[in-house]
Amino acid sequence: MSQLHLPLQHLLLGQTSYLPERASSVAEGADHIFLSLFWISAVSLALIIGVTIVFVVRYRRRPGRMDPEASPDHSTRLEIIWSVIPLLLVMAVFVASTQVYQAMVNAPPGADVQQVRVSAKKWSWQFDHPGGKKDKDVHLVLGQPTELLMISTDVIHSLYVPQWRLKQDVVPGRYTRLLVTPTKAGSFPIVCTEYCGTNHSQMNAVAVVHADQAEYQAWAAEGRGADLSLVEVGRKAFDDQGCSACHAVEKPEGQDDGIGPSLFGRWGGTEQLVGGGTAKFDENYVRESIVKPGAKVVKGYDDVMPASALEERELLGLIAYLQTLVPGRGQDDGEQGERHEQGERKEKAQ
Amino acid sequence: MSGAAHAGDSYLTHGRGLRSWLLTVDHKRIGVMYLGVIVGTLILGGVFALALRLHLWNAGGGLVSNDTYNRLFTLHGAVMVFLFVIPGIPSALGNFVLPLQVGAKDVAFPRVNLLSFYLYLAGAVLFLVTLVVGGLDTGWTLYPPYSLEGARGLGILIALVGVFLAGFSSILTGVNFIATIHKLRAPGMGWFDLPLFLWALYATAIIQILATPVLGITAALGFMERLFHLGLFMPEYGGDPVLFQHFFWFYSHPAVYIMILPAMGIVSEVVSVFSRKPIFGYRFIAMSSLAIAVIGFLVWGHHMFVSGQSQWANLVFSFLTLLVAIPSAIKTFNWLATMYKGAIILKTPMVYVLTFFAIFGVGGLTGLFLGILATDIPLHDTYFVVAHFHFVMVGAVMIAFLAGVHYWWPKMTGRLYDERLGVTSAVLVFLGFNLTFIPQFIVGIAGMPRRYATYAVEFQGQNRLSTVGAFVLTAGLVLALWGLLASLGKAGARAPRNPWGAASLEWQAESPPSHHNFEVPPDGVSPYDYTTLKELPGDQGWVVVGKREVA
Ligand code: HEM
Ligand SMILES: [Cu+2]
Repeated sequence: MSQLHLPLQHLLLGQTSYLPERASSVAEGADHIFLSLFWISAVSLALIIGVTIVFVVRYRRRPGRMDPEASPDHSTRLEIIWSVIPLLLVMAVFVASTQVYQAMVNAPPGADVQQVRVSAKKWSWQFDHPGGKKDKDVHLVLGQPTELLMISTDVIHSLYVPQWRLKQDVVPGRYTRLLVTPTKAGSFPIVCTEYCGTNHSQMNAVAVVHADQAEYQAWAAEGRGADLSLVEVGRKAFDDQGCSACHAVEKPEGQDDGIGPSLFGRWGGTEQLVGGGTAKFDENYVRESIVKPGAKVVKGYDDVMPASALEERELLGLIAYLQTLVPGRGQDDGEQGERHEQGERKEKAQ
Repeated sequence: MSGAAHAGDSYLTHGRGLRSWLLTVDHKRIGVMYLGVIVGTLILGGVFALALRLHLWNAGGGLVSNDTYNRLFTLHGAVMVFLFVIPGIPSALGNFVLPLQVGAKDVAFPRVNLLSFYLYLAGAVLFLVTLVVGGLDTGWTLYPPYSLEGARGLGILIALVGVFLAGFSSILTGVNFIATIHKLRAPGMGWFDLPLFLWALYATAIIQILATPVLGITAALGFMERLFHLGLFMPEYGGDPVLFQHFFWFYSHPAVYIMILPAMGIVSEVVSVFSRKPIFGYRFIAMSSLAIAVIGFLVWGHHMFVSGQSQWANLVFSFLTLLVAIPSAIKTFNWLATMYKGAIILKTPMVYVLTFFAIFGVGGLTGLFLGILATDIPLHDTYFVVAHFHFVMVGAVMIAFLAGVHYWWPKMTGRLYDERLGVTSAVLVFLGFNLTFIPQFIVGIAGMPRRYATYAVEFQGQNRLSTVGAFVLTAGLVLALWGLLASLGKAGARAPRNPWGAASLEWQAESPPSHHNFEVPPDGVSPYDYTTLKELPGDQGWVVVGKREVA
């Protein structure tokens, strides 16, 4: 079969070069599933085509063989056999796939996950890195689990890096996440895989994976400072919008709450809501609380907060800023940079 | 008793003039009118497709602008899906064949049938209007926010109305078919004496009735969101675009079964008739149609694995998707078993069906890659998906449609088409099809996204193969059309009543049937009992000798 020709050639030679290079921790797992499906399919297809050809040749109506031979017109046993075998096969692949899939979407417990905030618009990407640097390409460190927290400012886009075997839609109005642990240094193409208009096919960026922390820091230091970092953007928005009129940011909650709850140390916790129920204090919760404040109201407070019209980058900034209000948390952009530097200093000292 | 001897009144000559066609309530004439318009939409969609493929000859594009490319693929997809594949087999062939196969004079509600035709026509005309007012560039999936942005203009509103009307046409056809199968079966024809084409149409009609209203509602809501900013799908008004995707796929996944089930019905008929054997595992095939119709409602989320849907939802949808693959596998094995020890006749419909086996095999198996999460995440929205659904919609459904048109052509027109042309067209279509779409699997795996007006230069070779393939495929289709139309000319051979030796009831009517279908209302027969049929020499077809087994 010609459709199998190219893949088969590679497989028989032990190569899989028609698949893109494998550059993330999940790529190999995904390829194993792909290849097992490939072989199941190849064998099934060969069977279908082979049987068709053999039957047509042997049972062709021709002089001397004008009538069919007697044969049964049903067989429950056969029906069961050819339902159960495919069912078992696909279920086995399903189980194997589930493990790979879990690894694609969940970080290993205890992993130190860095966060890059991504905003997409027609037809470009913008990445805010830990350490505060903003860029049109994303920069990562080899082996460092990283979460891309993504939002679109206009229509739906989708971030895809073929070499990582990972893809995630980027939606307006809510954050989505793509988790990756790069296992190869180098530059990989980022392409948009959700149709988004005129230049959809040119909405490209690069994923640059640095071989080590030092190389990353060198990049992060260069040209830094031209833009405000996300945390700075957030702190500024917090002041400009007058959030501090109602929300404290310094005192621990409960002692001196204003009209709204104190935001000190709140990040990552769980809020008790008016009307029962709880909400995790995370990115989508913060976003909703600012854009649609009435949707979830914290128990003990009134539904009085006005909605604010903020740019997506300001919202991302506020999220980054609120994360800095947790003592000892490493997610602050400024601190992040420092922490890396300290780490290096320690290394040097040793 | 061949048709040539019978020069009496056929449905084609019963009433003359345009009016007698346009206002007809005869299911056969309605079927023929559908066939004409549907072939027209196939040609229109095909012209768009060739333009797309020519544009993709070079990695940098160059034939048309990005915006024009986007409009072309949108209209190509929308025309092919809403106007060709979904209504194709049920409305054109189903309308003609269904009443004949149950031994009735017409469908249960002939006037509703005509209404349904005009609704479809109105939908089709609105798509053309869309083209005239500047086109639509949203993709046939119409995802907001993109589709409902102010800049989209009138095109989207007209298209939504078009989708709405075509949807209504589909619902009315479904209602008609269900009522006809329930109420108008020939005396003695039980449910398990129905030809499998009717089981397929029955299962299809259930989906048409249950799923299509959701499409209508979605189109209506989209329309209102665009005009009145209700806050349903657009984040800027407080809506959620992913909600639209749920609505859309709740219809559009079952819709793929609206496409494929009737195709499977045709394959069941043809493989049995041309193997001269009863269909193997009749009940399993019939029940697997129903199983597909039911489980097919529960898998829409597999189009949304990377939309941000929760991982548990993803796992459940993936699991159910794999379950729905099994009934399709069962059918394939039953078809193959039907040929076992048969007396296989390689006429055009059968040759098309043999190519269907290989192509549907690939289409179904590659569906597994998209139903399994670990492989869908890389493959989603790449050319792999494009290749997959073309294997199913073009390779399987369109090829089954061609098989069906050739199979029932003598009944519809009273003429025999040229077998050599027919078989050659089937071979060309098969070769051209594979050349067009196999390279798309390969570039998809390598990472080429779909809906790209320009692409990375390393994919150019495969894209060129694909473009060449599209022209070979076109040549095959033109040849098929030529072969069929040529038979209508003076030289075309007259078709006998039963040219293939089939046992179902439509072959007891004249070719072409009289206005009332049957001179004497027939009794039900078992549709796959060939033992009493004998072939006459020449092109005189088959006749019944001895007593037929009554159902
Ligand atoms: C039987 C007839 C079938 C038809 C007519 C059909 C048609 C389609 C179409 C039109 C799409 C493209 C949707 C888009 O625009 O993105 C699609 C995608 C898909 N198909 Fe099929 N298909 C069929 C069979 C199957 C089977 C048997 C499976 C699974 C076992 C399957 C699984 C999928 C999945 C999971 C997707 C989504 C892929 C993605 O978007 O990543 N399909 N199919
Ligand atoms: Cu995009």
